Amino acid sequence: MSSKSTGYLVLETGEIYSGVWHGSGGIDRAGEVVFNTSHSGYEEIATDPSYFSQIVMMTAPMQGNYGVDSSFWESRKIWIEGFVCLQVSQSERDHAWIQRLSENQVPLLSEVDTRQITLRLRSGGTPWGAVISAKSEAEALQKAKALIAERRKIEMDWAWLASRKEKEVRPGKKSNGPRIGVLDFGAKENIFRELEARCSELVIFPSRASVSEIMSANVDGLMLTNGPGDPGDVQVAPGTVRELIGVKPIFGICMGHQILGIALGGKTYKMKFGHRGSNHPIKDTLLQQVYMTSQNHGYAVEPSSLPSHTKVTHTNLNDGTVAGFYSEAKNCLGIQYHPESHPGPHDASGLFDFFVNNMIGKGKA
Amino acid sequence: MPKREDIKKVLIVGSGPIVIGQACEFDYSGTQACKALMNEGLEVILVNSNPATIMTDPEIATRVYVEPLKVEFLEKIIAKEKPDALIPTLGGQTALNLALELHQKGVLQKHRVQLLGADPQVIRAAEDREEFRGILDKVGAKYAKSEMVRTFEQGLLAAEKLGFPLILRPNYTLGGGGGGVAYSIDEYKRMIAQALHESPTSECLVEESILGWKEFELEVMRDRAGTFVVVCTIENFDPCGVHTGDSITVAPQQTLSDREYQSMRDEACKILNEVGVQTGGANIQFATHPQTGERVVIEMNPRVSRSSALASKATGFPIAKIAALLAVGYTLDEIKNDITKVTPSCYEPALDYIVTKIPRFAFEKFPGAKDLLTTQMKSVGEVMGIGRTLQESLMKAVQALEFHPEGFPEIKAQTEKISYPNSQRLFHLYQAVRDGKSLQELQDLTQIHPYFLEKLFDVVAVENEVKASKQLSADLLLKAKRHGMSDALIGRLCGQTSKGIRVSREAQNIFPSYQQVDTCAGEFASQTPYFYSTYWSKISAPAQFKSPMMVIGSGPNRIGQGIEFDYGCVRGVKALQRKGHQVIMINSNPETVSTDYDTSDILFFEPLTTEHVGEVLRWSKAQGFVAQLGGQTPISLAHELVAQGYQLVGSSLKAIDLAEDRGLFTKICQELDFKIPKAAMVHSFEQASQKVLEIGYPVICRPSYVLGGRRMEVIENIKELQSYFERHAEAISAERPCLMDQFLENALEVDVDLVRGQDWVVIGGIVEHIEAAGVHSGDSMGVLPPQRLKDATCERIEELSGKLADKLGILGHLNLQLAIKNDEIFILEANPRSSRSVPFVSKATGIPLVDLGVEAALGTLAKVLKPQRFQWRNSPAVSVKGVVFPFRKFPEADSLLGPEMKSTGESMGIGRDYPEALMKALLSSHVKFPSKGEVFFSLRDKDKSELLALAKDLIKMGYSVSGTRGTASFFAENGIQAMALRKVHEGRPHCVDRIRDGHVAFVVNTAKGRMSIDASFDIRRACTDLGIPCITESDAAEAFLLALTHSRSGVSEVNPLRPTEPM
Repeated sequence: MSSKSTGYLVLETGEIYSGVWHGSGGIDRAGEVVFNTSHSGYEEIATDPSYFSQIVMMTAPMQGNYGVDSSFWESRKIWIEGFVCLQVSQSERDHAWIQRLSENQVPLLSEVDTRQITLRLRSGGTPWGAVISAKSEAEALQKAKALIAERRKIEMDWAWLASRKEKEVRPGKKSNGPRIGVLDFGAKENIFRELEARCSELVIFPSRASVSEIMSANVDGLMLTNGPGDPGDVQVAPGTVRELIGVKPIFGICMGHQILGIALGGKTYKMKFGHRGSNHPIKDTLLQQVYMTSQNHGYAVEPSSLPSHTKVTHTNLNDGTVAGFYSEAKNCLGIQYHPESHPGPHDASGLFDFFVNNMIGKGKA
Repeated sequence: MPKREDIKKVLIVGSGPIVIGQACEFDYSGTQACKALMNEGLEVILVNSNPATIMTDPEIATRVYVEPLKVEFLEKIIAKEKPDALIPTLGGQTALNLALELHQKGVLQKHRVQLLGADPQVIRAAEDREEFRGILDKVGAKYAKSEMVRTFEQGLLAAEKLGFPLILRPNYTLGGGGGGVAYSIDEYKRMIAQALHESPTSECLVEESILGWKEFELEVMRDRAGTFVVVCTIENFDPCGVHTGDSITVAPQQTLSDREYQSMRDEACKILNEVGVQTGGANIQFATHPQTGERVVIEMNPRVSRSSALASKATGFPIAKIAALLAVGYTLDEIKNDITKVTPSCYEPALDYIVTKIPRFAFEKFPGAKDLLTTQMKSVGEVMGIGRTLQESLMKAVQALEFHPEGFPEIKAQTEKISYPNSQRLFHLYQAVRDGKSLQELQDLTQIHPYFLEKLFDVVAVENEVKASKQLSADLLLKAKRHGMSDALIGRLCGQTSKGIRVSREAQNIFPSYQQVDTCAGEFASQTPYFYSTYWSKISAPAQFKSPMMVIGSGPNRIGQGIEFDYGCVRGVKALQRKGHQVIMINSNPETVSTDYDTSDILFFEPLTTEHVGEVLRWSKAQGFVAQLGGQTPISLAHELVAQGYQLVGSSLKAIDLAEDRGLFTKICQELDFKIPKAAMVHSFEQASQKVLEIGYPVICRPSYVLGGRRMEVIENIKELQSYFERHAEAISAERPCLMDQFLENALEVDVDLVRGQDWVVIGGIVEHIEAAGVHSGDSMGVLPPQRLKDATCERIEELSGKLADKLGILGHLNLQLAIKNDEIFILEANPRSSRSVPFVSKATGIPLVDLGVEAALGTLAKVLKPQRFQWRNSPAVSVKGVVFPFRKFPEADSLLGPEMKSTGESMGIGRDYPEALMKALLSSHVKFPSKGEVFFSLRDKDKSELLALAKDLIKMGYSVSGTRGTASFFAENGIQAMALRKVHEGRPHCVDRIRDGHVAFVVNTAKGRMSIDASFDIRRACTDLGIPCITESDAAEAFLLALTHSRSGVSEVNPLRPTEPM
């Protein structure tokens, strides 16, 4: 089992919370501090590239309960900068989650008063912070300040940092299905799985792929994936997408949805503390249902900024924010949440069918 | 989709008397639904035969009918009220079955009543196991291999095919009634016969065993637009094999990965849709194999349930209220979340805490009953503990059981108490961890998931740290508190008192923080003050206390302290609010109305121990606490809370002590004109055999400090006295002597409930017991107004009772149990609190006794209150209290009534006269009136001549009579032809054979003395098993005859409850 000592979560606004540090050696980390309200799915969350440069705090108090399973991974690595919770399984029989984070040099802080932090993030927004191994609060504050300042210098286009850098072709499972191009902003594996089940071939491009690269692949539709960071900082992709609107059926998820919004001429904004959890109610006027969704985003599309041919078709019922839009004229659909789930409910998976059957189907006809 | 405009008047059916498997959770759901629908401007007609409920308070619905839940009575109510719709999903299995019957008999169609929430198709699909399996096949869900069995022979074939162990699940029974696990063919033969009998359709599913699998429940809701939400996931600590009502359960689920859970969630949604549930709540149970993850569906209930009440309390999501609103047409997105007030109800609650439920059992009440848990539910109540971690919530729940302030006291662990599921398993398991058993060993013995066992090891590790520490450091103390350990437990481990630990906590500033149950893990601001304590935070949620008043609840339901006390608490909260107080409710029982977040101004879900109640009083700066509404639990906390400096409201400690201390009390009674039965305190058989000479047989013996008449017995001779001391040796000692009282044979017993203010007394009523003295007041039927007592005696009782209340200095409630023999009034017991009979009396008389109790406690004077307005004799109707017993659930238990309380619930029959009221009360207690057939008598000598007239009447009515040889020959000598049957020990065929063969319509069996009681056990057991009336008392036999005669006349009316007198 890994070693234990005192650790701290320090917010750049000065708040400090103590806990038990699990990790081999002192690998302090910094990132935006966010909370997630899902009851299960810690491993999917940690491997979701959208959490790049974020310290994730789980509101569910017991973590690591069911061990680890590599088949749960949503990408090739663990992206989070730190994992914060109240209690983590650390028995002789089961401490796999502690071990896995430790092997991946991701600090884990437990026995933290997570509810106080949630209330702080809810009311004051999600600041940067750091998970620090230190002997005293003073030491932690000092180390955190330096670390945050340093980390903040990284490249702004996080989607590029999370994206694969080489084109990749994957076979689909449906031989008579369409060929789908994917613009990778830091995609979750389950988007690929959902698409593979419905198509003959997937062509996955880096986030900065050019229009001609995509056009030359001769795909039937384009998927814009999820990804981390501020959509306003994403380079190249908005322009690429703008040129492809109306040319190819386009389906954007999360970051992909925001990029699509920008490409359509819309604006995005940073939300106070975002949506991260598996219980967000959505009113979907496209599929005509109200259902539960998996969410993970800190930015949203401003509805008034969208062009008139684009209708807000999906609304988050908790706060009325835009959860999706659809332009029948331009044959494009943006969805802010995660129909691919993992973790979270599968209620919205019908949107992949809508993309393949209605949007691409129509394009073909 | 807004509210439907075609529905203006709805009928809601309650679940009737409290029985095992169907308890006050349906008062909670029904009350919530009524309130919600009344709010919507609908007319709500409520029917329930259980007077001890809040839902049957006249204020809750437009009109309340306290009538038997039988088709003929429902039809009368429907004809009279002409409702547009009936909601059958709020009153448990009783209401569902009744709705189905009303449909099958064409009553609903005839009166054009729609069924909302579940139609006959849905009820059948979910409850008919064969049909349900068809649905599972359709959606691709798996289930355990099984055979539907309709005859004994089919049952044998099925067993051969499936192999042992086998699980028996009879159709359409509640709480798994008649079901169980059979390990051998002998056991199976006996069980299958019983199961087929218990099922109203004589069908039983025989299923291959999934013992040891992990068990889960999803509490789900659906609206008519098809929106589906999982309100709560529940995981059972006890693996499959123990009924979920008897299992320790945890929410949310802990050991499923997201992938496993989501797939379960998808399946639940498919099943719900395929069953055809249009709107409302349902629960679906699953089992998964601990290693392979293979999943099977166990069952589903298309209605609110015990676990939906638990889920509502665990999450803050009011399932019943939402179900009612969905039934009248709303969709989930149209209903606001009550707790946050900003988000909609179409969401799945996120929890940032853990909830543990532990059932409470009553095996000790049923000598002979085996303490073994199976798929048939046996628990009588439950507690819920909320904590930030599983350890904290489990330890809080254990304390909430109110067994021991330490939660887990040191016991002697027994392996068989670990390997066989039983009511004490958790305690033995924990002790085994203390004793150093390994995780592997305990897992092998129990098949409990190691995740759960590890939490016990974790707490014990902290225990060991505390034990080993020389000086308890602040860090270690905090750690112990974070692991949920009580001050009492920590104290014992380090050689200090509970108080010592509290003082040391105070010195080191270690206090619990109070956090909100907010449905959303803190994501949205919530205004609802629903709190639990935890030591995992230093900062409490903001709360606005305005010098509140606290009402202490009654904790887990148990025999002797049940829903009647929750009724008192809820009504008391409302009365205090009317007087302008902000009111705190504190309780640990998730089934109740009192723990609904909108009953009080501020709700604390906490164990009812001095530590937890004291901490809440401290934090809330409450001006005082009310201890007289929640039964014995708050009374027993009062001393220590007062010692900690908190203010007791109402009767003072002195008044309580005067009433409860036998010596002081006897003196006061002697000063008045009350007689007291001769009594002695003894601590050994030798001493008893001396003292009994002064008192004279029969005597009634009980150890001091017992609740609900535990271990209380009537002793007729020296042999029985000796046997008593042998059997109860462990409960009797010099420190805990045995009380030995003169037993007033054939005396008439009454309950008096009164309220005393500073300068006034209101007599709520006198309830005359139908059975003679000797039967526990909770088990005897009662009638108001008295039918046999002389008016003059009644008046003297009223006068003396008032004087006694003055003398004791009662401020609020006083309950007296009196016996009247030869016009002399003996006082048996005085309870300085609201009693079990208060709701019955209030409903019978229209006097708001609880409200008056609050006025009295707050010091309202006569000139303001005008107490002379409240005259209990004004009621024109006769009300009879009926009782319900759980003997069927305890196959080895005797149904003979005695001084130890055994009933779980009560019913009420209201009639124009005594026979009609009796008939309704009996019908509501599930007694069937046979219209013809043979009546079997087995009588003790003194009853023979007394019941001669009765036997003659029965013959005139067309019944035939049989009897044991003694009884039959007595009858023959007196001109009654009676068939003589052998007693059991006289060889076969005997009377029990004749009963079991179905020849007997009902039985009158009175027995005297332990020998004869033991000898006639089989007679009573046969009646219990076959569901035929068995009357064990001559007064009760006469009452039964009155009711029987009335039922044959076929005349009876239904009338709504009259409104409560305004305050």
